[in-house]
Amino acid sequence: MDKQYNQAFWNTVFVLIMITIGIGVYMSSKSIDYTWRWERIPQYLINTEPQEVLAPFDGVIEIAADDKTLTVVADSGEDPFVISTYDLRDVEDGDIVFEGDPIAGIEGWQIGPITWGLVMTLKISMISLVFAMLIGLFTGLARISANPAVRNLAISYIELVRGTPLLVQIFIFYFFIGTVLDLDRFTAGVAALSVFTGAYIAEIIRSGIQSIHPGQMEAARSLGMNYVQAMVYVILPQAFKRTLPPMAGQFINLIKDSSLVSVISITDLSKAGREVVNSTFAPFEVWFTVALLYLVLTGGLSWMVQKLEKRLAASD
Amino acid sequence: MTEQIDPCIIVAREVDKIYPNGCHALKKVSMSVNRGEVVVVVGPSGSGKSTFLRTLNQLETISGGDVRIDGIHLTDSKTDINKIRAEVGMVFQSFNLFPHKTALENVMLAPMRVRKQSRTVADEKGRELMYKVGLAERMHSFPSQLSGGQQQRVAIARALAMAPSIMLFDEPTSALDPEMVGEVLDVMKSLAKEGMTMVVVTHEMGFAREVADRVVFMEEGELVVEETPERFFDNPTNTRLQKFLGQVL
Repeated sequence: MDKQYNQAFWNTVFVLIMITIGIGVYMSSKSIDYTWRWERIPQYLINTEPQEVLAPFDGVIEIAADDKTLTVVADSGEDPFVISTYDLRDVEDGDIVFEGDPIAGIEGWQIGPITWGLVMTLKISMISLVFAMLIGLFTGLARISANPAVRNLAISYIELVRGTPLLVQIFIFYFFIGTVLDLDRFTAGVAALSVFTGAYIAEIIRSGIQSIHPGQMEAARSLGMNYVQAMVYVILPQAFKRTLPPMAGQFINLIKDSSLVSVISITDLSKAGREVVNSTFAPFEVWFTVALLYLVLTGGLSWMVQKLEKRLAASD
Repeated sequence: MTEQIDPCIIVAREVDKIYPNGCHALKKVSMSVNRGEVVVVVGPSGSGKSTFLRTLNQLETISGGDVRIDGIHLTDSKTDINKIRAEVGMVFQSFNLFPHKTALENVMLAPMRVRKQSRTVADEKGRELMYKVGLAERMHSFPSQLSGGQQQRVAIARALAMAPSIMLFDEPTSALDPEMVGEVLDVMKSLAKEGMTMVVVTHEMGFAREVADRVVFMEEGELVVEETPERFFDNPTNTRLQKFLGQVL
């Protein structure tokens, strides 16, 4: 029999330990005289500041009588620059402005750089995930093929990819394959991530297929199904269910690994974080925010996989 | 029809099976089965009887000799083995039901995917077969929710759904609890009565005596005795068979 623990007591212990860690973080930031500036962060998620409109050239301002239209009449005789909707006005009728001067502001909100980074991370992870699944499925099947050429190709690919760092692979994809095939950085990034993750998924799928009792294949073949039919209708559905937990771990790794594509100047969540640190001088707040957003992505994914696992458990 | 139909639906001639590890599992086994005949194969474990049964639908490849099903050579490279297997139903010792599908879906899968039947047709035929094996009420259960005997009856229904002309049974009751053996044997008996051609590997001597047209005794990869059940059980002349029967009866 397992030892019976006092649930209330040990849960309290857990909460106390977590609080202690939180206080520890706060105290350590105090000890290095760090000033927290959380108020600087939201504008990098959603920017609600009015957007500035700058004068396109040197000229004189004309404002319509109803204050609805603002015109910059160019000194050089170019076509005048007209703004018909603005919420803030920085200039008066008859003012002389020079190129680049702020003249008006438009209210509204825009997506900030960190949110753009989040969207890019999500996009690159999801596209890579689809390709990695396809690569993994075919390589996993090739890995257990009776044909030595097919099998050895699969083994070589898996060993090559698993034996080299992802960072190096990203550089090779971008600088070598990308140059040869003329790939843009996004495609190169997706290709590197898919090929890397595909190798791991291949091994997961192989072990999943091999964990299915050989009698399943025999039963399917004895009914007249060919190899592909037996795989698709009998073996793979069972293997898929069995490999869901390791597969979820691999998907989460993919999201986290996608941060490495920032080295080829793809502005994902990590690179956006770095850029925002440069302009805010608030590294702790930014990196905590970035970490939290990664946690939301990976947490959401594991939640979805758990739902799927529950649904597939109906036949157990 | 002027063409004469060969009464022999299964002809195995000098079948040899040597495993890569050198184990000589079958030694020149020859046997033929007529249409509608029930042949029961008995013998001690490791005698090659299951291996022999599995060569009849090429789940086990053979090293020498020849197997013909309905006149078609299985070892011929031009033979579409999937087509033959669709005509030869097989029931396994460990049931091998597809655990991710309900009983009815197990029965419907092959007719839909191999015979390309529509869902409605396969469903109707599937329900009919579930009724026939006495499991009409359990057809939406998953295999894990069924007892061993029920699972084996579903497995029989699954094989019958392909409307096979031959049924192979590989120790169908060996994995069952004793109280469930009867329900499976009953289904097999009613199949035999309907005139199904059956080859049955089993340890159920009562079934062999009651249902078989012929009983075959195998030992150490050889076919030793082939007799009618009466002569097989009541006046065994072969000393190896006498010894075996002395152990099991």
